[in-house]
Amino acid sequence: MANMLGIGISGLNAAQVALNTVGNNLANVDTAGYDRQTVVQVERIGQSNGRLTVGAGVDVVSVQRQYSQYLTNSVWNSNSSLQRADTFNDLTTTLNGALAGSGNLQGALDDFYGAFSTVAGAPSDSSTRQAMLGDTSKMVSMFNTLASQFTAQQRQVNTQISNTVDSINDLTKNIASLNQQISQAGPSGAPNSLLDQRDSLVGQLSGYVGVSNVQEKDGTISLYSTSGQALVSGNESFALGTAKDPYDATRTNVTDAAGNDITSKISGGSLGALIDYRSSVLDPAQNQLGQAAQALASSVNAQQAKGLDLNGKLGSPILSIGGPDVMGSSANTSNATMAASISDTSKLGTSDYIISYDGTAWSMRTTGGQNVPLTDNGDGTLSGAGLTFTPSTAPPAQAGDSFKIQPTRNAASTLAVAMTDPSGIAAASALVTTADKANTGTGAIGSTSVTDPTNTAVLDGATITFTSPTAYSITDPVTGTTTTGTYTAGQPITVNGMSVTLSGAPAAGDKFTVAANTNGLNDNGNALDAAKLADTGVLDGGKTSVLDAYGNLTTQIGSAGSQAASNLATQTSLNNQAVAAQQSLSGVNQDEEAANLVKYQQSYQAAAQVISAAQTIFTSLINAVQS
Amino acid sequence: MSMRISTSWSYQQSLSTMLSQQAALAGTQNQVSSGKRINVASDDPAGAAQALAIDHTLSANNQYTTNIGTANTRLSTESTTLDSITDQLDSARTLALQAINGVLAPEDRASIATNLQQIRAQLMQLANTADANGDALFSGTSSTKTPFIQNADGSVSYAGTDGQMMMSIGSGLQVAIGDAGSGIFMNNPNGNGTFVAAAGSANTGSLIVGASSVTDPATYQAGMTAGGGYTISFDATGNWSATDATGNPVLDPATGAPVGGPYTAGDAISFNGMTVAMTGTPAAGDTVTVGPSQNQDIFSTINNMISALQGTGSDADLTNAMNRQIESLDQTQASVTNTQVLAGSRLGVLDQQGQSYADLSVTYQDALSGVQDADPAATISQLSLQSAALQASQQVFAKVQTMTLFDYIK
Repeated sequence: MANMLGIGISGLNAAQVALNTVGNNLANVDTAGYDRQTVVQVERIGQSNGRLTVGAGVDVVSVQRQYSQYLTNSVWNSNSSLQRADTFNDLTTTLNGALAGSGNLQGALDDFYGAFSTVAGAPSDSSTRQAMLGDTSKMVSMFNTLASQFTAQQRQVNTQISNTVDSINDLTKNIASLNQQISQAGPSGAPNSLLDQRDSLVGQLSGYVGVSNVQEKDGTISLYSTSGQALVSGNESFALGTAKDPYDATRTNVTDAAGNDITSKISGGSLGALIDYRSSVLDPAQNQLGQAAQALASSVNAQQAKGLDLNGKLGSPILSIGGPDVMGSSANTSNATMAASISDTSKLGTSDYIISYDGTAWSMRTTGGQNVPLTDNGDGTLSGAGLTFTPSTAPPAQAGDSFKIQPTRNAASTLAVAMTDPSGIAAASALVTTADKANTGTGAIGSTSVTDPTNTAVLDGATITFTSPTAYSITDPVTGTTTTGTYTAGQPITVNGMSVTLSGAPAAGDKFTVAANTNGLNDNGNALDAAKLADTGVLDGGKTSVLDAYGNLTTQIGSAGSQAASNLATQTSLNNQAVAAQQSLSGVNQDEEAANLVKYQQSYQAAAQVISAAQTIFTSLINAVQS
Repeated sequence: MSMRISTSWSYQQSLSTMLSQQAALAGTQNQVSSGKRINVASDDPAGAAQALAIDHTLSANNQYTTNIGTANTRLSTESTTLDSITDQLDSARTLALQAINGVLAPEDRASIATNLQQIRAQLMQLANTADANGDALFSGTSSTKTPFIQNADGSVSYAGTDGQMMMSIGSGLQVAIGDAGSGIFMNNPNGNGTFVAAAGSANTGSLIVGASSVTDPATYQAGMTAGGGYTISFDATGNWSATDATGNPVLDPATGAPVGGPYTAGDAISFNGMTVAMTGTPAAGDTVTVGPSQNQDIFSTINNMISALQGTGSDADLTNAMNRQIESLDQTQASVTNTQVLAGSRLGVLDQQGQSYADLSVTYQDALSGVQDADPAATISQLSLQSAALQASQQVFAKVQTMTLFDYIK
């Protein structure tokens, strides 16, 4: 009898625990990180009375969470990739929007180059010249707007890096604290809710940065970043930090707990996306835009310098633009400085460089780590990658000093209109060559051009007299000096920063006079040449025009965006698969719980019925004895 | 064992399916409303770059078309102006012929001179014509508004340049949109264009020097280079002889004998690769000088006519003077006509080029539209497909997610 009562009570208890568990499952159906729990029951060992053994009821040994470390790991890993893809996609979407929203730069460039043609149609007309300055400032402001969008995104990335590092630190701190509670409870304590909470936080952490984990024997979890830095070990957490870039104080980098710069080692999660996006998309985009701006300014200004403005002067620059940014490392031991200038736009790349001194010589590499040849010019300057460097001699650089060079990073934001007076547009050719009427040879003037506008004698002109079909003498009309040269058909004759090319065969005694075109200010030769710049290769060794460069930038930004979008789709589906597999094991199914509820309710009722039967039997016995 | 479905995950999945369907629908909707397939570069990076390239070509075409318009206006103005100049030159020539034909009373001469003065003034004005921008048509590349300046002595000087304004009407294709006034009006050779044969100013006979020409360029060139010019003299016996610039007799290059012989009125005199037509009878000692042509501007030509008419010379003097000036006028006329032909052919090039840009623009517009525009039919059918799919998802969600066992256990 007592046995039957005991069995009934054990059944009641088991059903109650099971009902509680079902209830808890149902209550947590939408709780993030919750793992479904099930009741593990075992049969109580019965006592033998010698002839037979009657069972003694049921025992609940544990309430287990349905959990697979393998499936959870795969959720964490795929979440890391998903959040990386998501953040990357957000950033490229913003960038594509900025590109589309900053106006039609290529249209503005076309208008700008076209304005030279319009000026060529009426070189002395001040209204077309004024309109051209208008087109110039429209085009410049589009460069500036786009550049400011890029700069704004750099700031946004910096802020997001700081915020993400803060979130990571909060999470690792909480995980360490949960680890402590878990280890105190001990492995047998089975703190399901603590484990769920902790795993949920690890899941969140993996969204911020790629992590690997080691499950420790005491139930705690150790976490490492993908670069190997410990983030959590037992009840200890190791906070990441942020620091200014050693070269560029406006740039936020990531450090480990010891303060070492680990920016380039971070991967995975939204932090990995921010860092990767910054160096692989945003920096190159800014550099490319700057490169186009630099090429535009230098080619237009160079053409301008080859012509005469309405005042009969060699043209002054239409555009102004900043030079390369040079940033000394905060680790430099000297106060040495470095000057950098662009010497050949056609050789400008889109990389940034680190130039460093080993105590005897300078060397240069890209920020990506590739060595770049550097030529010592012997006059205290160095050349490489289309740039000229001048390290200061007082104070001299010390071994280990280095500088970061950003040739075009901020060029597009510094682009400005330098010209205010429309009569400054140099539409006329600077020089005019006339063949003497008495010439007997077939030599005719092919072209005359200014090769070096800085030569002060360039507008003085010259008289070229052929002393034989293959020799000539040049008389400078100002100084009266005469120089001689050997004539090769088709080769230009150069003097005083100008170059004259003849066609045909000049005869002995033939004379050609080169003079400043000051009487021909309605000439439009230089304006027509400037209009041709629209399709002239000025970058990549003369292969790429400014418009091509803008086209390339568009393709780069567009490709980054479409790749990010398709990567996001892939990662989303991979993550869905991982979560579905994990949820299939650990998720709560309401129907299943409903069925279990019915089952355990009935178990409870049955156990209660057993107790009731025991009572009935006992009452019958008492009654029998009393009567 | 079949797969367990987690209730909350299945909610989440249904939800995210609908959300992504909505996003796709919104994207298609954007394509329909903007009409563009590429709204940001990432929609189609290669297409976006291609669209930029086509757009640039279109802009260049438009600019070339504008340039062609500018060139057309200028060359048409030039052509019209040259027509008017031709008319004035024709009138001057007619007046000059009137002065030669027949015996003129002094008042007739004066009236012709007055007419010529008016023509000269007209020519001045025409030569200083401005284009649509107010720039002188015939100043070469100079910015001066009056390239032709009348000096105090009645002569005219040219303040422009010999250069030509060009206009770019295609990649690597430039066309001249003007001609320097120096070439048209100033630097034309007098005489027959190679040499001029003129009656001596002290002649007393009735000799009239007519048309002259080169019959053998090589012999002419050799003789003129060696001799530097000739003087043909007539003696009392009616014979002619010729001397060179240094006074030596001119020798026949074939025979080595001095050229010369009897002269008959109306005969041409020919030697050293040239021939000079003559009429009338020279007096003894009368001469005809032959020298290389010099440049003479049209204003000097007309001035010379006027002063001959206003002078007191004999009819023979007047006729000789007028003959020479008509020769010069014809040279200018030829140069004006040449310029007109050039301008006309440039206008032809402009027309052709303009037409081809008009055709190309249509082609490029089509290409651009093909790259960046959404196909309306395809986009709209996609839109209805996507909205049907979204509706289906919503219906399935409403059905499936309301099914629960709890409805059946009471």
